[in-house]
Amino acid sequence: MDIKELTSLETSGKKTIQELTIAGIIFVFFIIPWIIPSFRVMDVLAKIMIFTIAVASFDLLLGYTGILSFAHGMFFGIGAYSIALILYHSDTPSGYHIFLAAGASIAISVVISLMISFFSLRVKAIFFAMLTLALAEFAHILGVQWSDLTGGADGISFTLPGIFNFGQTLGTLFNTQINGRLMVYYFILVIAVFLFTGMLRFIHSPLGRVLKAIRENEQRTIALGYKTFRYQTCSIVFSACIASLSGILFAMWLCYVNPDSVFHTAIMVNILLMVLIGGMGTLYGSLIGAGFFIVTENWLPGLLKSIAGLASDSVILANMADRWQLYFGILFVLVVIFFPKGVIGTFRVILDRRHQLHSS
Amino acid sequence: MTRVPVIETPAIETRQLSIQFGGHIAVNCLDLKVAPHCLKSIIGPNGAGKTTLFNLISGQYTPTSGNILFNGRDITRMGVADRTRLGIGRSFQLTNIFPSLTVLENVRLALQAKENVGMVFWRHYKAYPKLSEHAYELLKQVMLADKHRFMASLLTHGEQRKLEIAILLALDPDVLLLDEPTAGMSLEDVPAILDIIQGIKETKTRTILLVEHKFDMIMALSDSIAVLQEGRVICDDTPDAVSNNEKVLEAYLGGGVTHA
Amino acid sequence: MKTDTLKFQTRNRPFQQYAGWIIGIGLFLLPLIQMDLTTYLTLTVAGISLGMLIFLIASGLTLIFGLMDVLNLAHAAFFAFGAYAGFTVLNLLNNAGWIDTASLAQSLFYLALALGAAGLAGGGLGILTEKIVIKRVYGNHLMQLLVTVGVSFVIVELLKMIWGVNDEVVPVPMGFQDAFIIFGVFIEYFRVVAIFLGITIFAILQYILKQTKLGIIVRAGVENQEIVKATGYNISWIFTLVFAAGSALAAIGGTMMAIFNQAVDPGMGNQFLIFALIVVIIGGLGSVTGSFVGAVIVGLSFNYVAFLWPKMALGVNFMIMAIILLIRPKGLFGKD
Repeated sequence: MDIKELTSLETSGKKTIQELTIAGIIFVFFIIPWIIPSFRVMDVLAKIMIFTIAVASFDLLLGYTGILSFAHGMFFGIGAYSIALILYHSDTPSGYHIFLAAGASIAISVVISLMISFFSLRVKAIFFAMLTLALAEFAHILGVQWSDLTGGADGISFTLPGIFNFGQTLGTLFNTQINGRLMVYYFILVIAVFLFTGMLRFIHSPLGRVLKAIRENEQRTIALGYKTFRYQTCSIVFSACIASLSGILFAMWLCYVNPDSVFHTAIMVNILLMVLIGGMGTLYGSLIGAGFFIVTENWLPGLLKSIAGLASDSVILANMADRWQLYFGILFVLVVIFFPKGVIGTFRVILDRRHQLHSS
Repeated sequence: MTRVPVIETPAIETRQLSIQFGGHIAVNCLDLKVAPHCLKSIIGPNGAGKTTLFNLISGQYTPTSGNILFNGRDITRMGVADRTRLGIGRSFQLTNIFPSLTVLENVRLALQAKENVGMVFWRHYKAYPKLSEHAYELLKQVMLADKHRFMASLLTHGEQRKLEIAILLALDPDVLLLDEPTAGMSLEDVPAILDIIQGIKETKTRTILLVEHKFDMIMALSDSIAVLQEGRVICDDTPDAVSNNEKVLEAYLGGGVTHA
Repeated sequence: MKTDTLKFQTRNRPFQQYAGWIIGIGLFLLPLIQMDLTTYLTLTVAGISLGMLIFLIASGLTLIFGLMDVLNLAHAAFFAFGAYAGFTVLNLLNNAGWIDTASLAQSLFYLALALGAAGLAGGGLGILTEKIVIKRVYGNHLMQLLVTVGVSFVIVELLKMIWGVNDEVVPVPMGFQDAFIIFGVFIEYFRVVAIFLGITIFAILQYILKQTKLGIIVRAGVENQEIVKATGYNISWIFTLVFAAGSALAAIGGTMMAIFNQAVDPGMGNQFLIFALIVVIIGGLGSVTGSFVGAVIVGLSFNYVAFLWPKMALGVNFMIMAIILLIRPKGLFGKD
């Protein structure tokens, strides 16, 4: 009957292409350390994975729920600090400490995000943005000043347990050294795929559909019998937990945290830029946004410096090359004004238009 | 004058219901009883408080004083979402749908609310095929089935009003509040909506409260008509009685007109 | 019955306000338990002057939001920019050798020069920002927030490019390094200047908003630009100028804070933004009076607590904010 056709139509060819692309991307991430045995490349890939998760979790909030929270970077920092503190303070770090850190950061994130959503019920959206910005600044200051716990501005370095220990070499396979860092890389890959799948499921779940409805037309959603506040709370809590888990991955990759690297508002601005480049409300965009940002961040300064090196006597040029983040800022403003849907979003608009043409 | 007999508990009852915005009293000590499984129309000049009354019954506004009862239960302080879950469905005067979701999804969301699976986040929404099937059936009822994959914003105005009714039916409410379902519609679309409302009425399982301006439509559909003026009911009677009521004619046509 | 409830409410309301004031003043006398009167008064004067400095920052934020319905997150960057502009002027004067020998009157003159330069620079940057960026995003809060975050980033990077990334010591005119003593309370001249400036700007803002048509015109412009245009006002330039005025206030606040702390650094905007945000949240978005009261509350409580338990100072401000939000979600003077 028609309903069969209806569901089959919804899951036609588009889906398999999508699945193939995802499998392809995962495969690329899997294979590259073997093809290009360069630490720099691996570092970039690992950071892309980590930030894809952080950015996607922020997109759940901004793009799928329509909430702008500047405290999202804070959860990233909470995750990073929880694993750093646990591993730093334990005499014999072992595998379960990582799970302990995950548990602790999720618990803290749930509590704080519940408090945040409680306030979000009471104040207007713009007020909420300010409130969370103040909270994020507070977290940064706390990270610097509460030095008994956080080690202050100097931060904490720690070593990872077991097979993840960077000093350890397990053997060589196909000319590539299998060491702790490679193990952490694959750990990040597995967790990132797991979390990303979780988020995809989240947005395609009944709850995710309600969130979409709320973003479209909150009043109507309430009139359908949904208590929208509960749904928004779920989204705030869920995305906070994911962000804190991505923070754990970040700390594991660097084996070091300090307030500036995880609590600074610049992190939040970077995440915002990545979401915007990829497109709000498009989970896949987070990969594009993070990929673009991390790659540029890694190679742009060098590129600019070599350009500036051509005219080595110009101080202004050298200065301009030094401040490569300036161009990110300008890009940010341009994207918001002229390209608000981001890459994937714009792509989808084009696809939709074509689709409508075909169906009519 | 034959009164409509109210034997059972009214489906909706308001007691001395009032709401005040600043100094303006929009609804003033309004008493209204709606018999179950009947269609009552509410008419009155612009600004008489019809939509405000709907907003009070569906919970968008909280009254300044007075009570609202649903099947004898006091729901005055209840929120919009809770009232919907209880069985009061509402359509809006200005089209109120999810424009960038598909037509099917618009209805499916309403069914999902009814089925209470909204909080599920670990399963795919397609894991509930019954919801999609049911939504499709409802779209057939309002003659929109062939457009189920369209984005709702691409529908014509008349189709969007039909979609609203499908959404409303999906909520399976005991009481339907229809706020000018034919507003802004082209004339050729109106009969379709009329048929749909007639169909709902004939099942004798739902109570319908209707606000409309098209007088012939009201006369044809209604079991009873309440006339509002300045936030009060000035007449509540059968269609025939209302159309001959002097107060009503005066309210509509101004003083000095005797009925022909 | 309805009139009854109304009467009850009007009878009740002044009492609640009254109670609020009593509790508030009581709270601010509370530190006396832990310290002697002289210390308390010294801290109070210092707290009020800090509050006035914070008010200078917050007032521009409030002005722009209250009139134009734009939340300008680049405000902190304007503040830092103003601090650097004032610093540059003072540095020039210092190089001429005039700072170290300045009498009080000369110091005031130099301060006026620095503030004037900062105000002009901040205002100019404001005009540019509004004309290039902000005017494209009126009416869309999310876009405004995002775009101003981006602008803030750009300005701070420009600061680093022009003045370098490190802290710089701000030369303070000699006259301000003096103090006078009343009843054993040690009061620096600069604090008096700060308090005076804060109150003056508060008065000017109140006058403009309450006594002139500007407020009505701008708010009407936010509702409907076309209608206001039709009445003959050039609304787009009025918007630009309001935004520039807010930016100039931020810049003036920046110079004052630079002198107060005797240092500037490119990241200083963010450090003080948190104060401004707390103040605006406590006071209620868009209320100048609210910002003024909020700034005094934050300045005083920060100073008292910083004296008693140094590490708790900012935390207490956060707690005050949370408590006020719990009681009055819209802030002390917030409207809908």
